[in-house]
Amino acid sequence: MRKARRGVTVVLILAIALAAGGGRAAWAQSKSLTFSMLAGYKEDVLRASLPDFEKKTGIKVVVDAAPFADLYKKQLLSLSTGGRYDVLFMDEPWVPPLSEFLLPLNERVKALDVADFVPTTLQAGAFQGTQYALPVDPNVQILAYRKDLFEQKGLKPPATWDDLLAAARAFHDPAKEKYGIAITASSDIQTALYMLLAQWSQGAELIDGSGRGALNSAAGKKGGEIFLELLKFAPPNARGYTFADVNKAIQLGQAAMAIQWASGARPMEDKTKSAVAGKLGYARVPKAVRQTPMRGVWTIAIAKNSANQDAAWQFATWISGRDFGQAAIKYPSATSAIHSPRVSVLKDPGTRAFLPYADALFDSLQIAKERPRLREYADIQENLRVTAGKLTAGELTLDAALKEIDAGTNRILGK
Amino acid sequence: MAARGRGRWFLLPGLLFLFAVDLIPLAYAAWASFYDWWLIRPRDIRFVGLANYLQLPGDPEFTRAVVVTALFTAGAVLVEFVAGLGLALLFAQRLPFLRPIRVLLLLPLFVVPVVGATMWRVIFHPEVGVLNYYLSLLGLGRPPWLSDPTLALVSIALVDAWRSIPFMFLVMYAGLEVLPAELFEAAAVDGASAWQRFRHVTAPLLAYVMLLAVLIRGMDAFREFDIIFVLTGGGPGTATQTIQILNYRAFGLGHMGQANAIGLVTLALVAVVCWVLIRAILRPRAVPAA
Repeated sequence: MRKARRGVTVVLILAIALAAGGGRAAWAQSKSLTFSMLAGYKEDVLRASLPDFEKKTGIKVVVDAAPFADLYKKQLLSLSTGGRYDVLFMDEPWVPPLSEFLLPLNERVKALDVADFVPTTLQAGAFQGTQYALPVDPNVQILAYRKDLFEQKGLKPPATWDDLLAAARAFHDPAKEKYGIAITASSDIQTALYMLLAQWSQGAELIDGSGRGALNSAAGKKGGEIFLELLKFAPPNARGYTFADVNKAIQLGQAAMAIQWASGARPMEDKTKSAVAGKLGYARVPKAVRQTPMRGVWTIAIAKNSANQDAAWQFATWISGRDFGQAAIKYPSATSAIHSPRVSVLKDPGTRAFLPYADALFDSLQIAKERPRLREYADIQENLRVTAGKLTAGELTLDAALKEIDAGTNRILGK
Repeated sequence: MAARGRGRWFLLPGLLFLFAVDLIPLAYAAWASFYDWWLIRPRDIRFVGLANYLQLPGDPEFTRAVVVTALFTAGAVLVEFVAGLGLALLFAQRLPFLRPIRVLLLLPLFVVPVVGATMWRVIFHPEVGVLNYYLSLLGLGRPPWLSDPTLALVSIALVDAWRSIPFMFLVMYAGLEVLPAELFEAAAVDGASAWQRFRHVTAPLLAYVMLLAVLIRGMDAFREFDIIFVLTGGGPGTATQTIQILNYRAFGLGHMGQANAIGLVTLALVAVVCWVLIRAILRPRAVPAA
């Protein structure tokens, strides 16, 4: 009796194990995707719409979210070691370094309505003529300014860097805790990108045509000087600022202007968090010898070793498509937004009600400048970040910083 | 004798575990450190011998990181040691109102380091942080705790101290509790002052415990990562960039050879410090002449 009971138990356990194992294998092959995602506000937007996709397609999406500072590291480690991700949400500078591990999409893209993508956003997912990713969330640097304050002083929105400096000076009143411009000066990557924006507009390049570091030039120095001059009109704690602190300075009404990624404008317009919602105007970033708003498109790519490439493609086309774009724009995010790369969404009159900066976003995307498309770019940008941090912390002079940036770039590129 | 021999076999599972989780990864890390191995170029892994090690002394970022790590470790451990010892001496007085406070003192030990660091990041926030709010009420301004190079290093050392003083306190309090009371009674009979009792009785008897606590905390502080990463990320500039932050950057960019070399150099540096302290702990003490 006892033996029989034991036998039945063993058979039952084996049956359950087989059923569970077999079932999971079949499910995993066709109906489940592991998605590497940016944690936080963009994740919230995605999660709000994800049930629709899962219901429509029967594909289960397991979201593995990581904060911005860790996302590239996680994706690089996972992809290079044959890891578990099927689909990946990638900042555009990561596409070239990780292209080795990504599925080329040229053939699949032909089936899409390519004309509906803002052209520069589609380029964000390409590298050396191959499309590795689709655009999901187009971002670009724009100028946000206090319309009400500018009207009071009878000033026009700044079109040039000289105008910007003059306006920053005019609104700067530290005694009243009012500052000309919100900008980061910490070791955060945004600091390096602000400086690069000013240098680009003067005609400088991070890397020249021969593939060597080229920031240590008259134009690079001029841009660096403008950046350092702007810091004089920033809040006193800008040396500790991050992306979110720039938004906060605007929300609290402390700063009259900010150069910020367009996605940062969404929280500035959130009435529950911002004292200046509805009082802001948006424009292209200032120009000097040229106008070069920096492009920063979040894209979606498929791992080359994914066993679920067709399901991954379905997901990629959904998340870069119109329906998700419309839903994302309407999502009441208090922190930021996912925009849409679709012309039909960005130009939809209804979009402006949710994104008051939609015109500035669309307009800036037309002329946006991309960062160098190199496999080594992640290292080059890290070198730029660290050196810009040393400059603002007073460890280096501008001349020494520019030399160090170029030396680092050349070392990374083996020049 | 045979039973003793059989008993040694019981060490085997522990040794196997140690081999699997410590020695094999260590050997693999040592092997990887001899290669130029960049994860974005999986087909281009080259043997470079000691090159990853030889470039470190000439790399100003690395040498600065060693200095920052040493300053942080020395500063944090010194504060923790002095505060921990002071609290242990205070609580050894057996004053009744101190008992409930003893439990509160241990609370930081139970806070997850990243959570604690995030909490301090908010406290230190220059504009909305509670610390600067009260300082400004006292007319002391709003110090840029995490954005001034010198203050940032002090701030991370203080947060490390906040988390680790309870440990120092516990170890030294336990040490004080087992010191023989007769010696203190004899010193009191001889008319020794409180300072003399501490200098000539407590300190020599507690020396081993103190060194052990410093050794453990020194090793921990040298390897500190989470607090620094959350609070400053190594900035402003490179003011708080320790060897661990540098190592994290190298790993994050996929430079496996360099990152493993930095890791092994850190291990060697910690081992040297430990060796010096262990020698001090194990050195036979001279018995004073009667």
